[in-house]
Amino acid sequence: MTLTREPEASSPPRPDRTGRKSALTYKHRLSRLDVKLSPYLYISPFFVLFGVVGLFPLVYTFVVSLNHWNLLSGPGEWVGFDNYAAELNDPLFWNSLFNTMSIFLLSSIPQLIAATFIAAVLDQNLRAKTFWRMSVLIPYVVTPVAVALIFSNMFSEQNGMINHLLSFVGVDPVMWKTDVFPSHIAIASMVNWRWTGYNALILLAAMQSVPRDIHESAALDGAGFFRRFFSITLPSIRPTMIFVIITATIGGLQIFTEPRLYDATTPTPGGAHRQFQTTVLYLWEMAFQRQNFGKASAVAFILFLIIVAFGVLNFLISQRIATTDSRTDVKSAKRVLRRKAAADREAALAASGAGEPVDSPPSSTLPTGAKEPRS
Amino acid sequence: MKFSRRTKVGAAVACAASFALIATGCSSAGTGTSASAAPVELTVTTFGTMGMDALYAQYEASHPGITIKANNIDTGGNAQTDAFTKIAAGSGLSDVLAVEEGWLGAIQNVSSQFTDLKAYGADSVKDRWVSWKVDQATDKDGRIIGYGTDIGPEGICYNSKAFAAAGLPTDRAAVATLLGGSGSTWDKYFAVGEQYQKATGKAWFDQSGFIWNSMVNQLPEGYYTKDGKLNVENNADLKSAWTKLAAANAAGLSAKQTQWDWNKGTSFTDGTFATFMCPGWMLGVVQGQVKTAGGDAVGATAGWDFADVFPGGAANWGGSFLTVPTQSKHPKEAAELATWLTDAKQEVAEFQAAGAFPSVTAAQTDPALAAGTGISAFFNDAPIASILSKRADGVKAQYKGPDDSTIQEKVFGPSTISLDQGVSGDKAWSDAMTLFNQLIVNK
Repeated sequence: MTLTREPEASSPPRPDRTGRKSALTYKHRLSRLDVKLSPYLYISPFFVLFGVVGLFPLVYTFVVSLNHWNLLSGPGEWVGFDNYAAELNDPLFWNSLFNTMSIFLLSSIPQLIAATFIAAVLDQNLRAKTFWRMSVLIPYVVTPVAVALIFSNMFSEQNGMINHLLSFVGVDPVMWKTDVFPSHIAIASMVNWRWTGYNALILLAAMQSVPRDIHESAALDGAGFFRRFFSITLPSIRPTMIFVIITATIGGLQIFTEPRLYDATTPTPGGAHRQFQTTVLYLWEMAFQRQNFGKASAVAFILFLIIVAFGVLNFLISQRIATTDSRTDVKSAKRVLRRKAAADREAALAASGAGEPVDSPPSSTLPTGAKEPRS
Repeated sequence: MKFSRRTKVGAAVACAASFALIATGCSSAGTGTSASAAPVELTVTTFGTMGMDALYAQYEASHPGITIKANNIDTGGNAQTDAFTKIAAGSGLSDVLAVEEGWLGAIQNVSSQFTDLKAYGADSVKDRWVSWKVDQATDKDGRIIGYGTDIGPEGICYNSKAFAAAGLPTDRAAVATLLGGSGSTWDKYFAVGEQYQKATGKAWFDQSGFIWNSMVNQLPEGYYTKDGKLNVENNADLKSAWTKLAAANAAGLSAKQTQWDWNKGTSFTDGTFATFMCPGWMLGVVQGQVKTAGGDAVGATAGWDFADVFPGGAANWGGSFLTVPTQSKHPKEAAELATWLTDAKQEVAEFQAAGAFPSVTAAQTDPALAAGTGISAFFNDAPIASILSKRADGVKAQYKGPDDSTIQEKVFGPSTISLDQGVSGDKAWSDAMTLFNQLIVNK
């Protein structure tokens, strides 16, 4: 390689051929550009795409949210943060936020507990493993629209299956669509039905990466199934658990299809009295039915900030877990860290006298040596 | 079987969505460079049951070079969302777009987005409609942006079996007299209801929402004054109608049904309620609900009949217009199609196909209209056309403001449901006023 390129790389002949000089420097410049720019070009598709479908809508939404903006007649006057102030004072907005949180908690908590349990069962030595694993994923394949239509019928107040079954055990019919709490339970059950299996599979994957010998030695020491589950399995899958919680949070805060189709007959999306109107449903109604694009964008942005806040919270928790050994509490972890840091400093001091000069020359020579043949 | 209605609706929505994509894709592809003589493809978007399906082929046959891509959206509400979204986006609207009376007010606010049909001969045809229909479609600058299709004169649907069980007359002329004939009032209607309720223990009407709708539509001025000012909070007419409705609920006259659901149609077959508010286009809905519930939708065995009477006098509920958005690349051809679809002969055909009562005067008196429809048999051979013609007599246009449908559905909608659920009239009214201030005044 170096042999063939040597004449090209050698600079002396260049000044002699003045006619070709400009062409060469042009080429030269071009190839330097190539080296410097092409990596960016190669990765640009992602950033261009992100800019067009991610960043631009985000910024544009923010701009819209600072205006009076009617769906049909377009932008009106600039109002600054008035739309935000109005929304934060709007009881209907807070109602939607309450509904979202309520449905989110009613769905996420039971869902994660059930998913962990199912994963633990699937983690055992079962016959026809693949069959069971595929089975729990089937609800996830069904589209949410179909799920909503079927559940909406099951939870029908007059002739619904659930109320019919309840009547056998002497329970009065529950107003699944009229009352606030029952409607939240019904919608949460749709979400649970669809997502439990999916989360169970992710948790199962994490459980399978827990070394079996730990389980075996614990079993030899006399730990039962539950003791092993709580003391070994759960702590080992905590990072995955955090991932599942984050995705469940984002999904839960953006819930739309289920409450929209749960009672599609009412003119107000999310129940006649907005009993189960979630925030996304509220913002959709604001934009496309109440025709107020400005406020809808403000709601979208507030929701965005709420989700970011949840994300940061989850990130902080997961970071704490990543820096700690699985069952040590925070204090002892800090102690360990301090000790380790002190040891590191000592080691660095000891090494600094001899280490530096040895390290730096090769690092400065190597790149230049590598660059030369290329230019 | 139980799921069939909802899934049908779902499928219709899906179809509508995909058709819209195809239709707009086609129209934009076909319009690029084509000269006027080249074949033209027109897209049409309608909703509900407008009875135009068979007419498109007829138009294509008589107008060579024109092909029609039709798209029907299941309900007016979905059609509204669809149209508003496309107006906001600035593209995607059909060449001919059906607009419902309830959201025409919002459309009038952006009337410049719609072609002035006067440029395509509106002046020469505007006398074919009842005059108030033309007034509704005329914007504040005097441009005519829509051609009237149907109107919704209201009569009373009643279940003769239920009436017989309560010892009330079952003959439709006798029922009309029972409810007060031409001088019928809401007080009279509710009084007969109480009589029925005492005799049978059953409800008189299905739910409060439609009653309220009719009461408001009937007033000379509804939620807005004639000159376009909001008039709700201290509107004595509205308040007195509300008080009557609340009293009727207190007397147990409401069957507390979910509107547009009616327990999957079953409530139309099991005598849950005895009377029902019926604009012309609603007759097909009643028949459809009985069919959904598994009842006999062909013969009159379900017991439904249609009486030439309406409490409080003539009332109109609903009705639509055909507009040509300025987004259309073929406004001339689109206007021609709209003109043809709203001509007397075609409106008669639309009535016979779907029960949509014509807004064209020549069609209203057309003998072919009286020849009846397939729906007549279901309503015990009631002369539907002639009853509706009589019910249309005396209907006046009510000014519908830009937020009319929002007030109707989102302000009073929840409160009429509250009335059904047993909330007192005063509480429900004050809840409505709270919502009114939140959604309309301080929007």
